Amino acid sequence: MKAFHIIKEHIILPRRSISVTAQRNDLMEFFDDKNNWGVQEVKTGRSWKVEELRLKSNSDLHKLWYILLKEKNMLLTMEHECNEKMIIFPSPERIDKVEESMENLEAVVRERNKAYHLLETGENGERPEKITNNAFGLQHVYKESEYAIIPKHMNEEWLRKDSYRASGKDLRDFLLKYKEKVFVENKKKKQRDFNHVCGLLKRFPNMDMEALKEQYPDVDIEKAKNSKRSRGHFVPA
Amino acid sequence: MSTRLYPLYQKGGPQLRIFLPNFWLKLIRPVHEQPPNIVQFACSMEMTKHDIKNYLEKIYDVKVAHVRTRIALGKTKRDIVKGYITKDDDVKLAYVTLPKGETFVFPDCAPDQSQQAKDEHDKALNETKKGYQTFLEKNKQRPNMPGWFRV
Repeated sequence: MKAFHIIKEHIILPRRSISVTAQRNDLMEFFDDKNNWGVQEVKTGRSWKVEELRLKSNSDLHKLWYILLKEKNMLLTMEHECNEKMIIFPSPERIDKVEESMENLEAVVRERNKAYHLLETGENGERPEKITNNAFGLQHVYKESEYAIIPKHMNEEWLRKDSYRASGKDLRDFLLKYKEKVFVENKKKKQRDFNHVCGLLKRFPNMDMEALKEQYPDVDIEKAKNSKRSRGHFVPA
Repeated sequence: MSTRLYPLYQKGGPQLRIFLPNFWLKLIRPVHEQPPNIVQFACSMEMTKHDIKNYLEKIYDVKVAHVRTRIALGKTKRDIVKGYITKDDDVKLAYVTLPKGETFVFPDCAPDQSQQAKDEHDKALNETKKGYQTFLEKNKQRPNMPGWFRV
């Protein structure tokens, strides 16, 4: 019994270890760890993925945001100082990693916000947008915002800046020519892509067709294969 | 406190709260000498003095006595060859005064690496020299023969 007791005392139970960094609340938080001053490379992990962030609670995400924000400020400070001193900033990819993490975190928060609003109100809670025509009769996405309600004829700023809308023969002529220009550009691009694919098939007849199809979805690969342009300079077997 | 669009405040509505501020703030070495209790920052263009004060007090837990800001004009340069003009981005600078009795000294966080770089260069050079010696050693028995030649 005693032996069992001794064993029990010395057993290390599997416990999830929590790593806690010492919290420093002063201006030195704007600088990297002293061990990383003047080194050539700082080894770091990857950025946070969307799938991982989806598993976290709202309060965890809130905490993580501030950690990432402080990290970004620290990296920007260090980068600025290195640029001032004409030194290479070690591992600049850290900034990209932090920014990617922040983007992913915001995407997850937005997802949750949308789901909540759809459930509660039937609308997604995003900033409303609508497609309108601009002064030249071309379509563009107009992002709506809240404003004090003034009748249009009394809104002097709107009348001065945004009320003009082209119309009549001028607009019709402009749109006709503009559309023709876009059409010709698209047609040229299509032909150019087709020719390029033919050239690729000529040089690399055994290339990965799936990848080719993925990169040039508008090109008819079968047609390109049969084209005269894709035939190599050899006698066909 | 952030660049996002928030609902307009209406009387009786809830107080505006910012959960995910996306402003950046970097501590920079002052260009001109400053009193020991003044810290210079570069910040997002949209930040106001109140934003900077709140940012430092709420996120970094640093007490702030006073904030002044200015927008520094980016430098304009003319291309030597082609003659066109380019301009750097403007940047908003903040001069933050710490409370009485507190000082801040900008640390030497990017020490000069020239000696370290020289050491590494010497190391690589020595290794190359050593490699060349082994190459010569290998080809000693084959005079008047190019190094790439093999039977």
